[in-house]
Amino acid sequence: MVLAVKKACKNFGGLAAVSDVSFTIQKGEIFGLIGPNGAGKTTMFNLITSMFPLSSGEVLFKGENINGLKPNKITEKGICRTFQNIRLFPKMSAEENVMVGVHCRSKSGVLSSVFRTKSQRKEEKEIRQRANELLEFVGLEGYADVTAENLAYGQQRRLEIARAMASDPQLLLLDEPAAGMNETETSDLFHLIKKIQTRDITVLLIEHDMPLVMNLCDRIAVLNFGKKIAEGTPEEIQNNPDVIEAYLGSEEEEEYA
Amino acid sequence: MLAELINPYYLQIGCFVLINIILALSVYVPLSTGQLSLASAGFMGLGAYTSALLTINLELPILVGIIAGTLIAGLFGIIIGLPTLRLQGVYLAIVTLGFGEVIRVVFVNWESLTKGSVGISGIPHIGREILKTVKEFGFNPQNLGLQNNQFIFLSIFLLLLVIAIFLVWFFRRQSRSRVGRAYAAINLDEKAAESMGINITYYKVLAFTQGALLAGFAGSLYAHVLAYISPADFSYHRAVDILVFTIFGGSEVIWGPVFGAIFLTFLPEVLRFISEYRYMIYGLMIIILMAVRPQGLIDVSLINWIKSKVSKRGVKHGSSSEKSM
Repeated sequence: MVLAVKKACKNFGGLAAVSDVSFTIQKGEIFGLIGPNGAGKTTMFNLITSMFPLSSGEVLFKGENINGLKPNKITEKGICRTFQNIRLFPKMSAEENVMVGVHCRSKSGVLSSVFRTKSQRKEEKEIRQRANELLEFVGLEGYADVTAENLAYGQQRRLEIARAMASDPQLLLLDEPAAGMNETETSDLFHLIKKIQTRDITVLLIEHDMPLVMNLCDRIAVLNFGKKIAEGTPEEIQNNPDVIEAYLGSEEEEEYA
Repeated sequence: MLAELINPYYLQIGCFVLINIILALSVYVPLSTGQLSLASAGFMGLGAYTSALLTINLELPILVGIIAGTLIAGLFGIIIGLPTLRLQGVYLAIVTLGFGEVIRVVFVNWESLTKGSVGISGIPHIGREILKTVKEFGFNPQNLGLQNNQFIFLSIFLLLLVIAIFLVWFFRRQSRSRVGRAYAAINLDEKAAESMGINITYYKVLAFTQGALLAGFAGSLYAHVLAYISPADFSYHRAVDILVFTIFGGSEVIWGPVFGAIFLTFLPEVLRFISEYRYMIYGLMIIILMAVRPQGLIDVSLINWIKSKVSKRGVKHGSSSEKSM
């Protein structure tokens, strides 16, 4: 078990964005988190990565309680994420973006950086190699020197994945990686995430593209209005009446339409 | 012939240019993590008064005074930097400006120690100390055909030049390392930087403290170059002047503040012949520049353009200092 979320609650004032959500993710699986807009999926990500504090409940990573740690400590522990609205470092080159990702796995300080000690030069070389290896992994070889903001949208999404992978995560959180992608790009993304899985990285995925989610995920949890309404394999989820109701509405719920 | 070329007046302007470069860097470094600090004048004053008082009252060597002044400013940098971490943009600017004013008011009112607004005179002068030392070793500036005061200013100028080049080199190398990438990442997107595993508290306080150390160092040098300081030297006007060096020159690359400090220190001297109109021209230039080039005169694309010109024409034409950027 890599991640266990137990009775997680988050209130913003009177609004319960997430209430009593529990799920566990096994090592090596691709776990999908789906639900209509505003269901609390991204809030769940922010709770796991400690960008917001939990109102109650707990998050366990490999059995260890990680509540209240700073986001950078969470990354050090081995959880890294991408963002729904891409948050690359826009003025940096693609290579530099990924090099920043290696930050918590390297350690050169001010003096060794300025005087370029032997170990610093070795480390810098390794960081650069790692960055280029990851750019190639996500299919961005040849774009190392391009400024991030000048990359095409789909490339920016893949660069964000490379940057997150640079921190050597055991659990990778992807927030709507296929948003705004065309069919070819989505199919490339499918293969990329499968490839990530073969590297022994567990993936937690938020996604609205249902064919992608159903083909990719081993298990899925469905959120609606901050509550978990279902969990199971893609087949179970597709046939679950509560899920169908949440997505399509039932006939008596005309006022929500 | 060397003697005719060395004019103490020009050398003194040169010294101010070099001190201003250090001050401009003291704004540039925190700004490279997105922290707009106006506390440089305050830190400069702390460095200047610490070093002046230690060398006068305790008769410590100038070097010890300068180190102490720098460290005291750095210590205050940590003290101010930690609680202001949550502040962004103009809010941080206002708090740091307030800090500078508090420091100045303390200098004015703590008369038993600082002699109030009269200021402190008779501070040991670096140039004279150097002259005294070399004379002890049996060297006489007359051997070079220099008068004593020419030698004094020349020695200060060269000393400051070495210091300024070292500091630019230091921070340029820092900016192209793991630390520099962390600074840039925080500047571009603090939340994303934190999610990528960067300890933003550490790096923001580090950058703020580096700025304070630089300003304190420049202030200590200032005290021992002028031999006279008063609270008015570290007022709000100084804070804005220092900020303008960096904003005018550009805060994207280190050559921006360096150029800003050089250009804006020379400009009023060059325009001296039109006397009172010169500050109008100075002000007008800043307004025009901010309107047409808000990122400052020197930015990344300009550097890249110079680089491409230099590599095209070969090194013999490209002797500008930017070519190594």
